Amino acid sequence: MISSTHPAGDSYDATRSVARGPRLLAVGGGKGGVGKTFVTANLAAALARAGKRVVVVDVDLEGANLHTCLGVASPQKTLADFVAEREDDLGKLLIDTPLANLKLIAATHGNLADAQPSHLRRVRLLRGLRQLDADFVLLDLGAGAHASVLDYFLVSDDGILVVQPEPTSVENTYTFLRAAFYRRMRLAMVGHGVRQLVTVAMDQRNERGIKSPLDLLREIEATDTAEAHRFVETMRVFRPRLIVNAVRTAEDVKLGFAVASVCRKYFGIETEYLGYVNYDDEARRSVSMRRPIVDLRSDADVSIYLQRIARKLMELSPAQASVQGPAPTHTPAPTPPPAPAPLAPGISRG
Amino acid sequence: MRGIDELDHYEMLEVPRGASPGEIDRAYRMAQETWAEGSLALYSIFEKRDASEIRARLDEAYRVLADPELRASYDQSHRATEPLAIGPTPTATIAPAAPDAAAAGRAINGAARTLPSIDESARVARAAEAAVTRVFEEDTERYDGRDDDAGGEYDGPRLRRTRLFRGYEIDQIADVTKVSGSHLRNIEDENFADLPADVYVRGFVTAYARTIGLDPVLVVPSYMTRLQESRQKNSRSRFLGLR
Ligand SMILES: Nc1ncnc2c1ncn2[C@@H]1O[C@H](COP(=O)(O)OP(=O)(O)OP(=O)(O)O)[C@@H](O)[C@H]1O
Ligand SMILES: [Mg+2]
Repeated sequence: MISSTHPAGDSYDATRSVARGPRLLAVGGGKGGVGKTFVTANLAAALARAGKRVVVVDVDLEGANLHTCLGVASPQKTLADFVAEREDDLGKLLIDTPLANLKLIAATHGNLADAQPSHLRRVRLLRGLRQLDADFVLLDLGAGAHASVLDYFLVSDDGILVVQPEPTSVENTYTFLRAAFYRRMRLAMVGHGVRQLVTVAMDQRNERGIKSPLDLLREIEATDTAEAHRFVETMRVFRPRLIVNAVRTAEDVKLGFAVASVCRKYFGIETEYLGYVNYDDEARRSVSMRRPIVDLRSDADVSIYLQRIARKLMELSPAQASVQGPAPTHTPAPTPPPAPAPLAPGISRG
Repeated sequence: MRGIDELDHYEMLEVPRGASPGEIDRAYRMAQETWAEGSLALYSIFEKRDASEIRARLDEAYRVLADPELRASYDQSHRATEPLAIGPTPTATIAPAAPDAAAAGRAINGAARTLPSIDESARVARAAEAAVTRVFEEDTERYDGRDDDAGGEYDGPRLRRTRLFRGYEIDQIADVTKVSGSHLRNIEDENFADLPADVYVRGFVTAYARTIGLDPVLVVPSYMTRLQESRQKNSRSRFLGLR
């Protein structure tokens, strides 16, 4: 499918890392404990096993545990050194992991307040990440939709949301999407009045009755067509990706399509369902054994799903680069009907 | 990008125009599940009415597309028209921000006329992208620090707006502050009658503000003034009512 536009996947990446630096992926999703770290570690491992040079970065300064998942015992140098301005070169913070091609920038538990980088430091950090010598840089985000988390998500080439088939996780996913979307829009708008309007719209119970991004666009259209164009263009490059984790039934698998459909029809936001990962006790065990399951047992069902997602990521052009290709028409390209999810091993028919 | 009320039957079902009957059936079944009452994917975002409107649109789309004759005549009368980036909508013409409907109409038509060519829109997109990055680097701090309009009074809606903008759920604040969610909601909704004595509310609002990263010194006095004024007014009228 999309791979056909970049038949030479490898050379594409090579040019990329020379010309534009690594491709930046952020893995988030409002809720705590939905498997963000598990997914990040394993996608990184899968990409590394496929020959890509990968760096994973633990930007969850409050609940740092990526290093444990990768079998790195209490790291000596961490992101805290960068935040506290003891180290300016991110490259010096790279730690080897037991896997070839995979390096880590760790974080450590620490005092929450001290650990939050200042705004300027965050900008430096983001710039530094773009300069790392790698094909892929994956960021493991913390829970919640705080501005600092959103920024990592928004500046990445691909923002990936991990959702679990349960109400609170779905709710948090929408909260996160809304927050990310409005933050992005607010930054993209130039005029003070329009920015103000975006802020008003963020509150779902706002007095102007703006309920969705589309309503907001209508309001902006009526006042300022240049801003409306900016809005539409920014909206088009806002293309979050979804992974459904810990699925147990075919019903759960379909959640990704359903959420994408709701995002498209209700919010006017195009999302891309990257794939799903089944629930497996072995996944849990791999975490306590401190090894990514794709490395520990590459033939396990979970590993197959995770590798499939990693492959898809390699095939896909980065969400934001897609603007530079042939410009899509303005209609939300109707995606082919959700293929009846191929029931794969480990998932029962719901 | 268009609103749901502007989607044609094919777009409603998310199938291509040449979809086979089998594809249409599958897409419809899938959509029914997605938009069913109690569907997991709709959790937390829908007011009942909205979802039932969408269900009705889906039913209508399926009714037409599943019937070969109806579909053929629908295709006849709905030749794929060139979609507009910014579609004129009935709602836009009555948008309150425009001085009058005619002016709003002109603005919309203007937008349609100046629709960029493909190259142009790619360029605009890149420019938008660059603008986003630049603004990120220059403006985020100011924006985060200053909130919507610096200073001014803090009322319930403003607190809620700030909370939402900073990505916090009521439950998260309740977890951190140990103030019950219903108190927090009453604070945002300014249900002063349902809140406890002033001294408690002061503590709640302080904790709330601190949790979402606002300075209590700015927030608490103005909020408490509102609360006390409202309470005084109520007790006075109750007092007068007794006489
Ligand atoms: N597919 C799965 N099957 C079984 N267990 C899983 C799966 N995915 C994650 N887990 C387990 O769930 C727990 C939480 O996962 P993880 O730490 O990755 O979540 P998180 O989203 O990063 O959490 P936090 O928000 O605290 O950072 C871990 O013990 C992990 O092993
Ligand atoms: Mg984590």
